[in-house]
Amino acid sequence: MKEESGPPAMPDQPEPPWHSRINVMSVTLVAFLAAVAFSLPGIHGSGRDIDYLGNLLRFLSRFFPPDLSVLPMTLSNLLETVRIAVVATAAAILISIPLAVAGARNISPFWLVVTTRMLLNGVRTVPSLIWALFAVAIVGANPMAGVIALTFYSIAYLGKFFADAFESLDSEVAQGMRAIGAGALQAVQFGFWPTAKPLVWSHSLWMLEYNIRSAAIIGIVGAGGIGVQLYGYADSRSWDKFATVLICILVVVTVLDFTGEAIRRRITRKVTKPIAAE
Amino acid sequence: MDWVVPQGRFVAVVGPSGVGKSTFLRVLAGIEKPAEGRVEYGCPGMATCGPRQIQPRIGMVFQNLRLVVNDTLVRNVMCGRLGRYSTWRTAFGFPRSDRREALEILRRVGLGPRAHAWVAETSGGEQQRAALARALFQEPGALLADEPISQLDPASAHMALSLIKDEAHRRGITVLCVLHDGAMVAKYADYVLHLEPGGEGAWRVREMKQAQEGTISTPLLEGAAVRA
Repeated sequence: MKEESGPPAMPDQPEPPWHSRINVMSVTLVAFLAAVAFSLPGIHGSGRDIDYLGNLLRFLSRFFPPDLSVLPMTLSNLLETVRIAVVATAAAILISIPLAVAGARNISPFWLVVTTRMLLNGVRTVPSLIWALFAVAIVGANPMAGVIALTFYSIAYLGKFFADAFESLDSEVAQGMRAIGAGALQAVQFGFWPTAKPLVWSHSLWMLEYNIRSAAIIGIVGAGGIGVQLYGYADSRSWDKFATVLICILVVVTVLDFTGEAIRRRITRKVTKPIAAE
Repeated sequence: MDWVVPQGRFVAVVGPSGVGKSTFLRVLAGIEKPAEGRVEYGCPGMATCGPRQIQPRIGMVFQNLRLVVNDTLVRNVMCGRLGRYSTWRTAFGFPRSDRREALEILRRVGLGPRAHAWVAETSGGEQQRAALARALFQEPGALLADEPISQLDPASAHMALSLIKDEAHRRGITVLCVLHDGAMVAKYADYVLHLEPGGEGAWRVREMKQAQEGTISTPLLEGAAVRA
């Protein structure tokens, strides 16, 4: 790493003109503040005089003590949720890697990049709950619907993440290998993949975490997993049973968050370190 | 320009910064197309051929090294032989004997104990020696090295250059090496290829001379003939 101190500022250098301060960032900030000012008047309650705090306390008190009799069923549903998320994530990884290659500007021709990116953007605009609604309508209310919904949703995200990751990588290494006679696939395998791998794993792991959280929600429309149970309890106002399910989800997601974060930090550590020679 | 280099000789490429020494090497390697003219190599079985056809026989030490940062030194070195094997052969790794040889060549550039370190964890000098090891491991017919000692301390630089020269003479590798240090040029080069700006971004050869007199007697076996 070289440290180059630039030339000292010229004493007779003129001040930059006032309009040089207008840039994307400052304009966006002003626009956002204007949007907040515009939105605030639109937010109001029901207008009735309700004791919000009392209401909250009364509602929360129904959660306690949690009804642990539903714990075995909760755990088995939780397992189903995790299974849905795992299968959906695996399917999404397999499908989104070729999509990402097609969507990376430094790898694919321009028309393919634009087409792929537009397709991914289109898929990403549809929330996972909507995908779940579609899937339930087509394959029925079962875990399969959950897998289909989350797979579509994850492809849109992983496709973009992977494509961005591939674009951020230095393809010079692979080009150098081509220059000493390596085949295209060899150059990808040995010159590109070792550096791409940690990013791919890191994003995949994040997606798995995300999908477990989503899988808990999409059950609400019947797409299998713990959401079905959760929605049933909310519908019948069995908040004590609801609390048990919530606590289980909380534990699983927290544990997953911490382990995922720890693993991701370990695998990306070596990439993020700057190369000494430049 | 039109000149020949006898096989197994060390040619130092010198010239002021920005004159196009790197570009010259890249053209020789077939990475860039020459603006005019063509590059020809003497090939076994044929009269001449372009750099593209014999890429596995051209070793490169890039100025920016181009090592795989997220891998070990020894695996980087083994990548030097990718051109020899088919995609299927290397799909699950390299032949076992290659690994031994790669470790041996790393030992010779003084990186034996660091062979299994990740590139990201090594210093600039270590990376530069690993890049050289990769090029030598390739067992090329011609070695094109772009400032291969720029980050080495004097002792390592001498070791690296004598290794290059030794390998060149022993295995008949024709070496073209961009160097800045006049003392190094005088000590190791058989020939000096002096480039100077030729106007409009072009360069031309000012001179191509024998560095030390009386050292050249090998006949031309595999030379690089450049017409530009």
